[in-house]
Amino acid sequence: MAEVEELSPASGPVATRPPEDEIDDDEDEDLDETLVERLWGLTEMFPDPVRTAAEVSVQGSVSLFKKFYSFSRSALWVGTTSFMILVLPVVFETERLQLEQQQLQQQRQILLGPNTGMSGGMPGMMPPAPAKM
Amino acid sequence: MGSVLAASSPSPPPPPSAAGSASPGVTMPPGFGMPPVPPAAPPTGSGAGKEQRAENLLPNPGAFDECHRKCKEVFPMQMEGVRLVVNKGLSNHFQVNHSLLLSTTGDSSYRFGATFVGSKQTGPAEFFPVMVGDMDNSGSLNSQIIHQISSRIRSKVAFQTQQQKFVNWQGDAEFRGEDFTAMVTFGNPDVLAGSGIIITHYLQSITPSLALGGELVYHRRPGEEGSVLSLVGRYTASDFIATLTLGSAGAHASYYHKANEQLQVGVEFEASSRMQDTSASFGYQLDVPKANLQFKGSVDSNWVVGATLEKKLLPLPLSLVLCAFLNHQKNKFQCGFGITIG
Repeated sequence: MAEVEELSPASGPVATRPPEDEIDDDEDEDLDETLVERLWGLTEMFPDPVRTAAEVSVQGSVSLFKKFYSFSRSALWVGTTSFMILVLPVVFETERLQLEQQQLQQQRQILLGPNTGMSGGMPGMMPPAPAKM
Repeated sequence: MGSVLAASSPSPPPPPSAAGSASPGVTMPPGFGMPPVPPAAPPTGSGAGKEQRAENLLPNPGAFDECHRKCKEVFPMQMEGVRLVVNKGLSNHFQVNHSLLLSTTGDSSYRFGATFVGSKQTGPAEFFPVMVGDMDNSGSLNSQIIHQISSRIRSKVAFQTQQQKFVNWQGDAEFRGEDFTAMVTFGNPDVLAGSGIIITHYLQSITPSLALGGELVYHRRPGEEGSVLSLVGRYTASDFIATLTLGSAGAHASYYHKANEQLQVGVEFEASSRMQDTSASFGYQLDVPKANLQFKGSVDSNWVVGATLEKKLLPLPLSLVLCAFLNHQKNKFQCGFGITIG
């Protein structure tokens, strides 16, 4: 330091206090920056086209993801309600019909013995089933 | 009983086009329509039973209004609210029906209807004259009288009132030739005011599968008159029927396909020049007679999905109808159910 400042005798040992204070102040100012800002500052090392390209692609993919998410939500809703209206009643009814037919077949088997419920069962083995399905 | 039931066909007649016809509150009840001519839906191109002769090369093409009918019947009918219909046959010639509609969006109503079928028989299931009448709880009347005047000419007179005011009165005559059908309809003729609508239809069989025809509508009011012409072509094959209507009011194309005993499919495309919009719809009908079930579903280009399920609850003469329609675009849902007794 070119300048020598006069210190009062009560200011402590003669040491290079002002530079330290300045350095301390500089470090304090540095510590005011948050970690994120410091990391962001690191990106300034990339050239501009790379930075803009990265920014555009990230923003594009974020908006694409949002659109895809909302599209899949409404597609799921439309698909589920349309399936419920168009297909579900028929499925219920055909299942019910199948169960009824199975039950009848089982009853006939129990009543008239095995091999009666099968269509085209062995002729002559049993008297033909009285009721037509 | 059978003849009376055969006479009341479930499909309503289409109102005359370009007519300022019935106001919104009045709907044609389901009992209306021409009695079905026995092979009326011509999947193989064969015409009306009484005109079909083995030596005829060109069969009668059927009625003009029936062209798009097969495809339209595949689509479900939208209904809302709760409906109870009681049909009672009083004799071989006379049938009465009561119908109660409890509606969620409009007014609930009660309708009383009567059908009389005469004794002049022209075919296995056709009896003439047929008189169908229907009255609402507010006094609105719908009535139709259909009569076979001669072996080839059939005529119909229809009236419709809204409370006590006559809204629709029309008469028509249809002539069935060997291979053509011609019909003239007079709608709301008012000689004193000089207004009315005249509609003429003509449909000609060109080959056993192809029928071409046209429709001319002339309407007149004091101060203005105009006419609309449209052409119709219909191609019938063993499996499918394709119909196209082209006119100054727009285009309408329909395709009906019978996939197998249980499944029938219809595709319809409509473009209207008046309202500047087009719509396409796909519908299917599934019949499972073993389960006494008839299911109709449809998907539309206006994002409307709808289905109707009809089930006969068999030991009793009851029939249950469930209906649901969902409009995805406007996010509106409508459902209804009905029970028919008898």
